[in-house]
Formats: sequence, C-alpha cells, structure tokens
Amino acid sequence: MNIVVCVKQVPDTATERKLRPDDKTIDREAAEGVINEICEYAVEEALRLKEAHGGEVTVLTMGPSKATDTIRKALAMGADKAVHLVDDALHGSDGLQTSYALAQVLKKIGFDVVILGSESTDARMGTLAAMLAERLDAPQLSLANKVEIDGSTIRIQRLTDYGFDRVEASLPAVVSVVEKINEPRYPSFKGIMAAKKKPVETLSVADAEIDAAKVGLASAATEVVDFAVAPPRAAGTIVKDEGDGGVKVAEFLASKKFV
Amino acid sequence: MRFVLDAEQRMFAESLDRMLAGSKTPGAVRAWADGDSGPGRALWASIAGAGVFAVAVPEEYGGAGVLPVELVTAVHELGRHAVPGPVVETIAAAALLSRLGDEEWLPRVAGGTAMITLAVPYALDADVADLVLAVSGDELAAAAPGERLTSLDPARRLFRVTPGAVRASGEAVREAAAAAYDLGALACAAQQLGVGRALLDASVEYAGSRHQFGRPIGGFQAVAHHLSSALMALEFARPLVYGAALAYGTAEFARDVSAAKVACAEAAYAVAKTALQVHGAIGYTDEYDPSLWIRKARALHSAWGSPSDHRARLMAAL
Repeated sequence: MNIVVCVKQVPDTATERKLRPDDKTIDREAAEGVINEICEYAVEEALRLKEAHGGEVTVLTMGPSKATDTIRKALAMGADKAVHLVDDALHGSDGLQTSYALAQVLKKIGFDVVILGSESTDARMGTLAAMLAERLDAPQLSLANKVEIDGSTIRIQRLTDYGFDRVEASLPAVVSVVEKINEPRYPSFKGIMAAKKKPVETLSVADAEIDAAKVGLASAATEVVDFAVAPPRAAGTIVKDEGDGGVKVAEFLASKKFV
Repeated sequence: MRFVLDAEQRMFAESLDRMLAGSKTPGAVRAWADGDSGPGRALWASIAGAGVFAVAVPEEYGGAGVLPVELVTAVHELGRHAVPGPVVETIAAAALLSRLGDEEWLPRVAGGTAMITLAVPYALDADVADLVLAVSGDELAAAAPGERLTSLDPARRLFRVTPGAVRASGEAVREAAAAAYDLGALACAAQQLGVGRALLDASVEYAGSRHQFGRPIGGFQAVAHHLSSALMALEFARPLVYGAALAYGTAEFARDVSAAKVACAEAAYAVAKTALQVHGAIGYTDEYDPSLWIRKARALHSAWGSPSDHRARLMAAL
C-alpha cells in the first residue's frame, strides 16, 4: 500500500510567533521550526497502517528549505522516504493554493491513502484534507480517531461532539486524524541514524507541474488586510468565598455557557 | 575541536527528553525507592527501545557500537529526568563483558532485557538486577546480594555482595575492569551533569514564580547570583564530559574521565545545595519533586569514585 503522510513545519508554539510586517505572512525566521504536533499522530498512524498492511510510507511536505528538519523527524520515526516541495514561488500561498500544489504532487507520486493532521498550529485552517480530497476526486474521511483498512475499504471513526460517526469509503482516500487516534512513537537512535540514509526527493514548482501563476502571495484568494498584537489578558474576577463560592463559580460558568 | 552535538545527537537527546517527560518519571523513582520496580522496569524498556544501551554495546553483540558521545548525551538526559535503576552500572558492565567476549548477556543489555549491576564496592539495585557482578583482583564472579545498606538517595538501593561462581579470570579481567570503571565514571559524570541541570532549571522556574516582598525572588540579586554561579559550574563541567567522551580509546581517556567526574560531582552537588536554598523550606520536603534530584546529587557525589579519588588519579596522570 502506498501511504502518503503530509507534514508541516510550524513555528514552535512555545515561542512567540509573529507575522512579517512587510507582506503579513508568518515570520518563519523569528521562531524555531518544529513539526506540527498533530502531524506526528498522522505519521504514527501511517506507520501503523504500514505495519498492518505492508507497503511504503512517503512523507510529503511543502515548505522552505529548513523544513528538511521536519522531514528528518518523520523519517526517524520510521517513514521510508520523503518528497519536499520547495520553491520561492510558493511563499505566501493560502489554503486553496497549498491544496492545489500538494494535489499536483500527489497526482505525480500516486497514493492509496493520504493521511494528514486535522489542522496546523500556525494557520489553523483545518480545511486542507477537504480541499485535497476534492482536488484529487477522492473520498474524504475527516477527524478520525480510529482507522481500519480491509482490502480496498477504509473505515474510520469520526470524532464528534456526541461521540463518533462510523464512516466508510473505498480507496484511494484522504484521511485527517485527531490527537486521540494514537500515541506517536519517539524516534530511537537506530531510527535517527537510518533516517540519514533515506531518500528525500526535492521538487520545484516546475518539477511538480504546478502553474506558478496559481500559487504564491500575489494570486492568493485570501488576503491578510491588517493585524494587531493580541491585547494583554484582562485581570480575572476574584471572588471571596463566604460560603457561597460554589454558587458563584457555577454562576460564572453558566454565564459563559460552560454549564 | 568542536564540542557541538550534531543534528542526530541532538535529535536523540530531544527524543529521550520528550519520552521521559511524558513518562511520569518521579512516580517511578518513588515506587523504585519503595521496592516496586514495575514502573522503573517499564521505563527501562522504553529507554532501551530508544537505543540508550545499544550505544554501549559493540555491533557484534547486537548493539550500535560503543559511541561515547551518544552515550553521555543519553545518560545526561536520564540524569535530568532522575531515571532510577542501575543505568550507569549496566553500561559499565557492557564495557566489562564486551572485553571478555561474553555472548550471553550483551545482546540482552542492548535489547533492554537485562539489568546488570556491579559491586563498586557496593552493588546498586542488586535485588532488582538480573545479574550482579563482582571483580576481585583478576577474577570476575557472579555475585549474590547480601546486606542492604542505606543510601542518601532512597531510590539507590545499595547492597553488599557475596561473590559466587567465577565467570572469568586472568589479566584480561583486570584490564576489562579498569576499562569498565572508566566508562562507568564517565557515564556517572554525565548523569550528575543532567541531575544538576534539572535542579538548576527547577530553581530558575521557582525563583521566577515565587513572590516575596512584592516581586519574584529571582529578581533579588542575592538569589540571581547563586543561580548564575550554579549555571557557571555546570557549563564549566560540561565540556570536560564531552572532551572525555572524545578521548575514548586514547591513552588520555582515564585522565580525562577523572577530570570530568571531579567537575561534575562538585558542580551537581553545589547546584543541589543552591537549589535547596532557593526553594526555601519546600526544598526540604520529600513530597516535592526536586528532593528526588537533590538527594541523587549528594549520593552520586561519591559514587564511581569520590572527587578526591579522581583528583588523585588526575594528579598521578599529570
């Protein structure tokens, strides 16, 4: 089975993340790039599917050259090879353009299952799986907390507010996963050393037959008009417990519609 | 000479750090001290799976080859997370057994299914270990745990041992034991460095969050100076550990290990004392996690040779 797992390098959420004042895109130099956390769950699920059904796991990422660190991480976890789409023309691409660019690569390299994390910690769009499925004319199985493959049938449990839905489709398909799905493995020393020797194919926009006019900031469908630093958090309300503390807490939660 | 870790070594350290941070290690340390080795054994299987022992075992015995820089990098992380068990002893035992051509235990060490301890002179965790070894002169014997002794660190279960059947004898044993001692002392130095680092990090965090007189106590120069002295002690000890690791296999190895061991023992102990002071009364509390590291720093100070033993070795080598 040909499993492709899409991973993204994002600015470390533990550091202060910034937008560039010049073109209002994410400042990828300002913070350390790390693998988007939910992508680790996607990689883990891809590896488990490979262990159960055989085949090969390919890591696919679109990002600047420093995204190779994220590729190495996924390879150290156990993926077999990687494809890195890297081109200055892609800078500033929005979700729609990213889905177009990745779909072009996926059509080129082929797949039985594409696995993604449900969203990235930087853009937080959470729409890439749906867009990719549409562009690839493949069924979309989103927000999976369990994935099973049986022959050419794929079944997932889609996490919902009320529990889960069972969703079934035929392969090839696009799956997005949530954190409840598994516990990602930590790269072992053996895995880290083996990753050094695994093939990483670098593709430019031209290599992937991507129309350069359809990607990048200038032709993006969305535009960041303005941005401002989030205001500092206001001081909380302090309630003195005079025997009615529990009631006050309940009232507060009710006023915020938590209870 | 560059003492900068490469990308793979950094990834190995980060991987161990994340794994141990998610493993509820303090709970395993307390259980270990109370005689419940279950959580500690599970932790052992995880660190072995990550390849910690593989880098102490030659390839012909199922390891990744003896890689001293990777080894100290890994043991530093284990020290930072106060991992219990005879980690350093098993690494030293691997050095001993690989020189004597043992085919029985080394693959198990690499695979994480064997905990081995050594009498140096007391055997750490001999009641839990799968094999207890004792060297006397040029004889290597399997030993049985005897009387339990008290360590300053309750998670270090020390035992006198009674040597049993002789496994090997001759000059080769003497040489192998010397090599095992050097690697054990180096691993212990790395462990101490990690213990010290964890205590400094905990102290800095505490000093930043504990308020007194209307501001964080870390804002007072007297506290800040103690913390910066602690950082300097650790930063001056660290290059000696990596320097010694790079000297593995050379004539200077034993000398460099002693230099590292003295510096790390003194640094970790000094940082532990600072940590105790910075934390104030809560630092003396058994239930509060930093106590696990504070007590380990004191116990390790004299493990694998006291600073004066290593100063004497250093002196003789100069």
